[in-house]
Amino acid sequence: MSSSSATNPSTADETLRAQIFQRLHPRVYLERFIAEKIRPDGRTFDEWRNVSVNVGSISTADGSALVRMGDTTIVCGVKAEIAEPELDRPDLGYLVPNIDLPAICSPKFKPGPPAEEAQVLSDRLNEALVASGVLSLSSLCIHPGKAVWTLYVDCTCINYDGNAFDAALLAMLGALRNTTLPKATYDEETGRTTCSRKTRSPLQLTRNFASTSFGVLDTSHVLSDPTAFEEPLMDVTLTVIVDDRGELISTTESGGAISEETLLRCINRAKERVLQLKD
Amino acid sequence: MAQSAHDRRRINGPEESFPPIFDDDDEDITLNTQRSRAPGDIRPIFLQPGLISQANGSAYIETEKTKIACAVYGPRQSKTTTYSEKGRLNVEVKFTPFSCTRRRAPMRDAEDRSIGVAIHQAIVSSIRLELFPKSTIDVFITIIENDGIEGCIASGSLAASTALADAGIEMLGLVASCSAAIVGDEIQLDPSEAEARASTGSVILACMPALDSITSIWQSGQMSADMALKVILLQLNTRCIDIHSIVAQSLLEHRKSN
Repeated sequence: MSSSSATNPSTADETLRAQIFQRLHPRVYLERFIAEKIRPDGRTFDEWRNVSVNVGSISTADGSALVRMGDTTIVCGVKAEIAEPELDRPDLGYLVPNIDLPAICSPKFKPGPPAEEAQVLSDRLNEALVASGVLSLSSLCIHPGKAVWTLYVDCTCINYDGNAFDAALLAMLGALRNTTLPKATYDEETGRTTCSRKTRSPLQLTRNFASTSFGVLDTSHVLSDPTAFEEPLMDVTLTVIVDDRGELISTTESGGAISEETLLRCINRAKERVLQLKD
Repeated sequence: MAQSAHDRRRINGPEESFPPIFDDDDEDITLNTQRSRAPGDIRPIFLQPGLISQANGSAYIETEKTKIACAVYGPRQSKTTTYSEKGRLNVEVKFTPFSCTRRRAPMRDAEDRSIGVAIHQAIVSSIRLELFPKSTIDVFITIIENDGIEGCIASGSLAASTALADAGIEMLGLVASCSAAIVGDEIQLDPSEAEARASTGSVILACMPALDSITSIWQSGQMSADMALKVILLQLNTRCIDIHSIVAQSLLEHRKSN
């Protein structure tokens, strides 16, 4: 009885000391774990967090997806509206992806207009969707020169625990795959477009791909899928987007120099990961 | 008409785009207003505390088509330099662009702020702010799917109160909130968007059943004073007691499983 009450306060004490140490010296804390070949949340360097995807839960959106990558939670919704196409591209629709990192998801984001991180993520997501050609914009045309579909793909992060880019891309693709557009007919005489509530058809997506992010610490330790604690401590961050046929769509690297061997290793791991995620 | 100003911080689409007009729009409206529940029944509530790991306290509430996530950060240092004896409560509400039938611009507008004020009013009297001088408690609410503003305010207050309890902030009691719409002589509890549009007036009540006290009454529309009192004292109050037990239950279960 007395021995158990003596050990309880000391284990609570130890966890408190460990938490204080983590706050005051994050880098040393992480390095101590790395030295033991493990990460603070118990994963090995190569391990990914559990991913769960839930589609079609939001009835007000034309397509929606909720992705949880570990604790990182991202909700994505697609809204379709009708607009006039650009004069020099009369048969192309619009695809407008955006991500919002509101103050709710992490203490480091303040309320207000999109901060730097959100703007950078939006831009990278836009590039990824455009570069991959996942959706042919001419398939969004209703009547050339008069009416085209505009797809607003909006992601909102609910809980930010690192690696928002991977989760957001997965959410956007999930939502696009879940999107159905009503059949639209353009009336030449009145210039109005009317849609039918009864017939809806899904979007034609050309490829299936996923992105994988890595962080490199001290040029030799490559951690995959970093959490919010590990992300700011990484020297280099590397993101690889590969599709399910093994074709490389894009690689982004920031922070410092990495060896070619590391880059190739990451690309191979990304290819394995895409096949894993397909199920 | 969606007027999108060119926002330099976001990826922009075309200057103007319009939501699709459906050819059977006129018929659909009349179908939707037929209520599938009894007038005294509220929609089933799913309440889950502790969903957001980064926040001090959090809650997610879902009632049929209304989905709201709430996070509480605090007490943390006040941004302003003026000394305040009591703590400050800051409630911010954000709609996701896909939460309503017509796409909302990501910018915060008057509707967000009025819901924020309503929720602030509902929960501020329940928190012991005098224990946190010079500090701010931030409550952030994200409305993921919206089915009626009254439902949003009621569910938002519930989520905020649960999140505050989850954060361990000292409170006088849990706040339970419920809304009602008046259609002619009939009182319908917990109206959805279509039902609220068809009604002549609505009442939202927030109270602390544990202390038998009311924190906020938000009434809009046409109704006689007798009708309003009848709604509040008889129906909403009793409903709030039921809702209070749901909130307490979910908090206890969450604590037990951790």
